[in-house]
Amino acid sequence: MPITPMEVYKLLPKTNCKKCGEQTCMSFAFKLINREKKLEDCTPLFEEKKYAGQLEDLKRLLQPLEEATETGLIVDEELCSGCGNCVVVCPVHASEDPKGMGSGFGPTIDDPILRIEDGVVKVVEMMKCRRYGKNRILCVACRENCPSDAIRFLEG
Amino acid sequence: MPTCTGCSCLCPDIVIKDSKVFNACRKGSSIFRHCREKRAEPMISGKKVDFGRALEKASEIISSSEKLAIYGLDTIPLEAQGVAIKLAERKKAYIDDNSSFCLGDFVEMILKGILPTTTLDEVRSNAYVIFYWGTDPYNSLSRHLSLYTYYPRAGKRQRGYEEDRYLVVVDVRKSHTAKLAKKNAKFIKVDSDEDLIEGFISTMDGKAGKYYEETGRIIKKMQRGKFNVIFGGLGLKYGLNGNYEKFVEMVKRMNELTQVYFIPAGFHANMRGFNELMFEKTGFVNRYSFEFRKSAPKYEFSELVRSDSIDVALIIGSDPVNSLPFDVVQKLRKKRLVLIDPKFSLTSKIAEVVIPSAITGIDQGGTMVRSDGVKMKIDPLWEAEWNDESILKELLEEVR
Ligand code: SF4
Ligand code: SF4
Ligand code: SF4
Ligand code: SF4
Repeated sequence: MPITPMEVYKLLPKTNCKKCGEQTCMSFAFKLINREKKLEDCTPLFEEKKYAGQLEDLKRLLQPLEEATETGLIVDEELCSGCGNCVVVCPVHASEDPKGMGSGFGPTIDDPILRIEDGVVKVVEMMKCRRYGKNRILCVACRENCPSDAIRFLEG
Repeated sequence: MPTCTGCSCLCPDIVIKDSKVFNACRKGSSIFRHCREKRAEPMISGKKVDFGRALEKASEIISSSEKLAIYGLDTIPLEAQGVAIKLAERKKAYIDDNSSFCLGDFVEMILKGILPTTTLDEVRSNAYVIFYWGTDPYNSLSRHLSLYTYYPRAGKRQRGYEEDRYLVVVDVRKSHTAKLAKKNAKFIKVDSDEDLIEGFISTMDGKAGKYYEETGRIIKKMQRGKFNVIFGGLGLKYGLNGNYEKFVEMVKRMNELTQVYFIPAGFHANMRGFNELMFEKTGFVNRYSFEFRKSAPKYEFSELVRSDSIDVALIIGSDPVNSLPFDVVQKLRKKRLVLIDPKFSLTSKIAEVVIPSAITGIDQGGTMVRSDGVKMKIDPLWEAEWNDESILKELLEEVR
């Protein structure tokens, strides 16, 4: 399940003290999930004893963020059968490697976003993913076409 | 480029670099990664012997056999299958492979021209409506959709699956493949395949039968697409229970309106190769008796074992102890078994003679026939000293 800003917000101090550099706890929650902020930036959480329980819960909740790539893409190799659907549907692959991945085959370029390695999907060059960078868009093609839910995105 | 022989997709784009396997699916990559493990050794009655001794013993047993069956054969190249068929002919033996309980019926209908067919390359470039009927390729033929059918952008289908393809999945349950039927696609959950077939026929007759909403929409899509394909699997075979007439009629009727082809979904790497060689030689695809010169259900390998119709079984590239029903295995233990196989297996534990062979695409090359009937030349990564073809040729020389 993706992490929602609301879930994060509920565990923050909710004082809107702005110490994190954000106007509100809610906007801090958003940026946490997008990894533009770190939990440590909310200093009250760490300094005030009364938040200790919430802090533990938050750390647990945000654990998948540590495992995810910078685009928020998480792959679960255990679930993956190496079917290659994600590799072939990716619009970036289709435009950069039309004769290879775009046509169904393995990559003929050195830096695909995803490729199948030893039978399971591996993230190779996540910077090329359309979900990354300033002009990012909410592409979900790889996840939508994974039959075993081996691909997830943090923000849903 | 190495070819994977993990299934009848025979994926031709495998890359091996820095001891990693690229592009093969989980099942296929494990063949490459574990190719040196659990390799069989020459054995007689569970004791390791030298290769020549095992070969000699095998030809003794086969020579003395009165009622021999040759079985397996689906993972070895055409060249070796051809020698095995010659051996069966010489011994007036029975010969059978997995296709009797797999998709041999469909291959036979195609070879007889009862169902129109095409190739996977044509499907990649042209197909619009793509049916998966009674098959879930995700687990057993993992790259089928991504390499050949629904996902590639190629030929006339450059705009990808969302606009240029229409997926239809027919199954009794929501399979992995059925989960992919989202936008511009349809999953039809059936209780009876026949009902759906009749539904399609009714729609084409202009009547509203069962599933009329689905069948109406799909027929329109097929007319728009001009090139459509049905991949049929085991679910369809068992759903129809041997009565293919209605299905054949449906495909024929569809072809009066548009073009529809049929391809068996898939199976062991070279099952179709065996079926084609047998068909060329005998007019039948499997479960054949060279003594009675005909094919019959009672000549299916399991049935031969059950009915004690054989004394010796020569098993090639298969592990029946693992794959056949328990009662058959119990009886099989009492037969004299000669096994030719590259790996240790449950069958190798009970075989009287084990002759180690090679793995196609790893240490033996040859020709295999893809699920659509296209012959693929398979190069080995290196050559083993003995391979299925040379072992079988040696037996053919020695056996009387
Ligand atoms: S520092 Fe913490 S409590 Fe203060 S506004 Fe930011 S998130 Fe809210
Ligand atoms: S999110 Fe889109 S661009 Fe990114 S890897 Fe998946 S399919 Fe490719
Ligand atoms: S689509 Fe899913 S199962 Fe298939 S290769 Fe990609 S992650 Fe693995
Ligand atoms: S789909 Fe079949 S042939 Fe292709 S890599 Fe997987 S097991 Fe090998």
